[in-house]
Amino acid sequence: MEGSIFTRNRSVPVFIGVLTLLALGVTVLSEAYGTGALSVSFTKVLGMTLCLCLAALAMDLVWGYCGILSLGHFAFFGLGGYVIGMWLMTARTETIVRASLEGAVIPPTEAEVSTATALQIFSVVGATDWPWMWAVSDSLFLSLVMVVLVPGLLALVFGWLAFRSRVTGVYLSILTQAMTLALSLYLFQNDTGLRGNNGLSGLQNIPGLETIGQDRISVWFFWASALVLGLAYVGAAWMVSGKFGNIIRGIRDDEQRVRFLGYRVEGYKLFVFTFTGILCGVAGALYYPQAGIVNPDEIAPIASIYLAVWVAIGGRGRLYGAVIGAAVVSLLSTYFTGGRAPDIDLGVYVIEWVDWWPVLLGLGFVLVTLFAPKGLGGLVDSLVRKDAP
Amino acid sequence: MIRHVLAALVGVLLLALPAPRAEAQEATGELQALLQSRAELVADASRRTVQEVLDLLVDSELPEVPRFLATWAAREVYRRNADGLFVYVEDGDATPLTLIDISTGAVVGAATSREVTQLRPNRGVQTVIASALVAFQLASDDPAERLAALDAIDDAPDETHLPLLRELLQTETDEDVIAVAEVLLPKLVIAFDRDDADRVAAIESLAGNVSLAARATLNPLLATTAGVGTALPEGENLARVLEPGGDIAREAAYAMLVEAGLAPPLVSRAQIRDTLAANVVDGRVGGMPVGQLNTEAARDRAYAVLVEAGVAQPAPTEAEVEAALASHVFYETYREPSQAVTDAARATLDGIETRVGLYRVFDLSLDGLSLASIYFLAAIGLAITFGVMGVINMAHGEFIMIGAYTGYVVQTLVPDYTLSIAIAIPLAFAVTFGGGVAMERLVIRWLYHRPLETLLATFGISIALQQIVRQIFGTQARPLTPPEWLAGSVSLNDVVSISSIRIAIFVLGAVFFVLLWLILNRTRLGLEVRAVTQNPRMAASMGINPDRINMLTFGLGSGIAGIAGVAIGLFAQVVPDLGSNYIVQSFMTVVVGGVGNIFGTLIGAGMIGGLQKFIEWLNPTNTLAAQTYMILFVILFIQFRPRGIIALRGRAAGD
Amino acid sequence: MKKLLLASALSVVSAHAASAEIRVGILHSLTGTMAISETTLRDVMLMLIEQQNAAGGLLGQEIVPVVVDPASDWPLFAERARELLTVHDVDVIFGCWTSVSRKSVLPVIEELNGLMFYPVQYEGEESSRNVFYTGAAPNQQAIPAVDYYLEELGVEVFALLGTDYVYPRTTNRILEQYLLDAGIPQENIFVNYTPFGHSDWSSIVADVVALGEGGQQVGVISTINGDANVGFYAELAAQGVSADDIPVVAFSVGEEELAGFDTAPLAGHLAAWNYFMSADTPENEAFIEAWHAFIGDENRPTNDPMEAHYIGFNMWVQAVEAAGTTDVDAVREAMYGIQVPNLTGGVAEMLPNHHLTKPVLIGEIRADGQFDIISQTDPVPGDAWTDYLAESAVLESDWPGLGCGMYNTETQSCVQIQSNY
Repeated sequence: MEGSIFTRNRSVPVFIGVLTLLALGVTVLSEAYGTGALSVSFTKVLGMTLCLCLAALAMDLVWGYCGILSLGHFAFFGLGGYVIGMWLMTARTETIVRASLEGAVIPPTEAEVSTATALQIFSVVGATDWPWMWAVSDSLFLSLVMVVLVPGLLALVFGWLAFRSRVTGVYLSILTQAMTLALSLYLFQNDTGLRGNNGLSGLQNIPGLETIGQDRISVWFFWASALVLGLAYVGAAWMVSGKFGNIIRGIRDDEQRVRFLGYRVEGYKLFVFTFTGILCGVAGALYYPQAGIVNPDEIAPIASIYLAVWVAIGGRGRLYGAVIGAAVVSLLSTYFTGGRAPDIDLGVYVIEWVDWWPVLLGLGFVLVTLFAPKGLGGLVDSLVRKDAP
Repeated sequence: MIRHVLAALVGVLLLALPAPRAEAQEATGELQALLQSRAELVADASRRTVQEVLDLLVDSELPEVPRFLATWAAREVYRRNADGLFVYVEDGDATPLTLIDISTGAVVGAATSREVTQLRPNRGVQTVIASALVAFQLASDDPAERLAALDAIDDAPDETHLPLLRELLQTETDEDVIAVAEVLLPKLVIAFDRDDADRVAAIESLAGNVSLAARATLNPLLATTAGVGTALPEGENLARVLEPGGDIAREAAYAMLVEAGLAPPLVSRAQIRDTLAANVVDGRVGGMPVGQLNTEAARDRAYAVLVEAGVAQPAPTEAEVEAALASHVFYETYREPSQAVTDAARATLDGIETRVGLYRVFDLSLDGLSLASIYFLAAIGLAITFGVMGVINMAHGEFIMIGAYTGYVVQTLVPDYTLSIAIAIPLAFAVTFGGGVAMERLVIRWLYHRPLETLLATFGISIALQQIVRQIFGTQARPLTPPEWLAGSVSLNDVVSISSIRIAIFVLGAVFFVLLWLILNRTRLGLEVRAVTQNPRMAASMGINPDRINMLTFGLGSGIAGIAGVAIGLFAQVVPDLGSNYIVQSFMTVVVGGVGNIFGTLIGAGMIGGLQKFIEWLNPTNTLAAQTYMILFVILFIQFRPRGIIALRGRAAGD
Repeated sequence: MKKLLLASALSVVSAHAASAEIRVGILHSLTGTMAISETTLRDVMLMLIEQQNAAGGLLGQEIVPVVVDPASDWPLFAERARELLTVHDVDVIFGCWTSVSRKSVLPVIEELNGLMFYPVQYEGEESSRNVFYTGAAPNQQAIPAVDYYLEELGVEVFALLGTDYVYPRTTNRILEQYLLDAGIPQENIFVNYTPFGHSDWSSIVADVVALGEGGQQVGVISTINGDANVGFYAELAAQGVSADDIPVVAFSVGEEELAGFDTAPLAGHLAAWNYFMSADTPENEAFIEAWHAFIGDENRPTNDPMEAHYIGFNMWVQAVEAAGTTDVDAVREAMYGIQVPNLTGGVAEMLPNHHLTKPVLIGEIRADGQFDIISQTDPVPGDAWTDYLAESAVLESDWPGLGCGMYNTETQSCVQIQSNY
């Protein structure tokens, strides 16, 4: 166990290399800084895909390495988006309100600005006051702290309760699914303070950067997403390569035995669960300003199941597997549902990809689970003849 | 309902009409002339204005008026666009339409649908017309007519109806009519009689009557108006005195004072700002530069200066508000002047309401039980595949959905609803049993040692199945109509009622429970299932074929899901994502109840259904909140009882 | 993976080479939960474009429809809108159904100065420079329906039942205030929200029936959306509640929705729209005939949002002809005051606040799934900001006059040029 993580795990330098190349490629082809071959909308799709890869990476840590099949990690992803969304909406709206009150005969008090801002944001759900959870939404710094704290705390409390009671296996999966369902139902209510079904929108307009076009902002977000994904990858590779990695793999393979060896299994599980929750939160906070809108549909239970499926298809227990799975499946989905894939005319029946893609995807899961339990990552392994780290 | 009665009436009156005479063409005048004099009111009849026309028509005492009114209300009167003539049209779907004179019944011409305008009096106007017809109908020889008249009185009672009704009760011989009239009489007496003793007697006759009609009669008597003054009013029927800060909020009480002109209005922050803005001179107001007025304190100081200068209204202080509230009394008075009547109504209503309260609790329990039986039905298949076999089948919901679509398909082929349901239930079982067996053979049996991967594979099957069904049947909700005998509801009284379809679901759930319990505990198959679940190797060495047992068990669970689908489709809507709406709830039901035990599932469903109804009852305006808190409760519950309510002990409890 | 990315990037690029024809973007969900309603609107747009092309196109050019599928996924609406405007270079977009999808598209369309026609009745409180609202604002559907209840049916107790999302929430808030202003006391207004696809209606219907215990006429105002209506009406029928006892007026149930119901028990209940298929006019007859011929199915109903697209598309065609170009700013200027005949008679006019004048129709459901029109008003001008909420009453939208969609008449200033999404 000597040397840096770059030499110990060969996938790390390869991954960082590919990511750097990709970032360079996107920059060179972008509308803002290059040839313009890559449209703004596709740049955004790529940036968002990187965020999904980050979430998949977290999922791989918690499931592939620690054996906890969480069907609720997308809840943390969505929460990250909501937290940053609150700041984006507040700051943008406040700028607008201040500008509109500029011409008033009597200068507005701070309370008046705040009331008018709240009215602008919440009139859509019929409320006029700031709900309690928006308390720190006027500060970027505190909001960024909350991006880490809110998903982290939820994961910590939930994980503490669940692991303490020794809820494991499929029970835990169902419980996490119930958690994300409860959260999405809670957010769906119009009177709980996060604008109900409408969610938070207009998030692509970054306060303070109003004069900068989306062509540049999209590239910046792509860079940021790539940077965070790269850092997270290195961090995750470092985590799973040492003693810590051995212990959590041990927990995955035989929890009782690790416990009898004297390790506090619950503590390790709680740490991984919380850490990956935070990772997902950060990924969400990067994702939704690119998507433009976050709403309760995003964290419906099915989203978290998809996350698990990406990891399974990519090949769990290998970090690059998760990234490949998320990237391939989500980009293919975009391609086939975007109406650009040519329909196949069979003469008697026209196969429209928009309609048949979900069927294909579903059957794909089945085939991968049955015949390629190591997923696409396993394919890579067999190509480079190297076992997973 | 009104419309049917009116249509019948038209038929009866048509028979009574004199045969058309040749000279009738000229003699159409009188009714037509009357109508033409109020042509717009007839053509664009409104509930508020139609009375004028009706009075005119009734006062004219023309013999054809009753028929005209009934035909009008039945929407069979048309108006010719060319000359504004009102005519009857018997068959509105014919082309061209045959126009019939309103007095003589003679054919006056034909027209296409765009040359005439159909008069469509709305339901409100229909009610008023029906009310005008009451006198005519009560005099009719046909009991059905008289019943229709009573119905009209019930819809829109007025003072003139009371003597008519009393008269009727003295002469009436038909028992049905008497029964209806006797129920109706107290309502009219209470509302319109002049004699308080009669009214009190009528009120007391309603004691213990939990019907909606009885409460609807009594409640208006107790309607109150809030008032304020320096002393309690004399000679009014006082309901109660209101205590500011207790019975009535202080703000609301002060607002009443302001409205009554007994106190100066409060000055809001916005008003202060507007007043300041209106008094800006040279960039200064109240001696302060405008730029400094961006705090409330500064604004208050500037405003005080304006008040002193007499430009602005002084704001009442807290002490002044307090004093104003203390020096006045707030009260409610009954709109009904007679105290004897209100006392009797209060006493009777209190008695009724206690009973209604008890019945409500009962009704709520029924609702909870019904919801529980739906959850149970959705989850029971899962209780076998997940609970007994330990297989996580995410496609369970899709089996429910396929069962519902099977019912829909059968119903499109077999038009008789009872027969189609009778066919659909076994067919749905067969279809989903087959589907389950196929899935077990092809996918699940390879994954028995990897339960979490079963979850993923079956999830894949779930989205594929959903999309395939969407391709075949489209996204539109498909109707699955219950047979006639399941369409209504069983009601004990106006408070407690439950729809028949829910009772059927409850019965179905109970039957399944008994059946499954018997299969699992009293048959060879059940014994083998339990043996295979607990220790497949040992079971195999005892001569049981675990493959076969697993296949059958999984098929059984899936088949039951299919039948549940038919039942759920009957009361909800058949859509491709029908199943996914139930899947999370179903898993929770099984887990809460305790895995491996259908008793547990029963109790789990009961708890979840009952709890949800209870939370809904606490906050009836938001059903979504009830679902949220129910799930939160389940999450917490599992923390404290991770193995569910009925936990298995011993070997079978191992993962 | 890199290769794949480049491949799809290139496919994006190739679509970029726009030709001289006029492109019309159609942004309606073809999959997912909203496909049920929105697919029809895609079809009606294709029909209108086909008709226009058969009549010689527009400005001598052919109109080419560009159909994309946002898949009922709200963030995807924004993504697809950006694609339509920047990659496919469309001249105008016809699209969206739900409010949240519109709010998702708004920032993109305003940033890129696109033009969109939105065909569905909605909650109002919005007027974007780049959107023309061809569906009803609350004062063109909800308020007249409530007036009908108050005036004609003498309803004194109101049950406002809705699905829990923005349209019902905002509409009910406006109606609640309107009812309070009309002298209906707060305790006579019962409000309930249920989730999408709700099916357990028995206790809610029981609650509504119990409202009758005050001896006053009860009426239900339903903003219940989509599938949930099936269970709701079935439960009403099961509990023996007829339209005579408790009428229900629905704002989201039209001919298309009724096609999925057993309509017999619904007869007599009401719906308020600006269009009914049963309207007896020559224009409507021609429209229905063309629709049936286009779709190849004699049983497909027409409905209100379809008429909205019919009016919107014809207005846009006229505006382009008047402006002589498809340039967004020129077309927008030309849109104001343009008149197009309604299918139900009368004329729709585009107002400076980007809304239409529309007649309000109230129909009674017939057993055959059609509506008996029992009341039709003169055209009502659409009001972007409702007059019944204090904070909105002071707002006004007048793009040609004030250059602002959210103008505060009290402070005499434009609150914001962009819309509040």
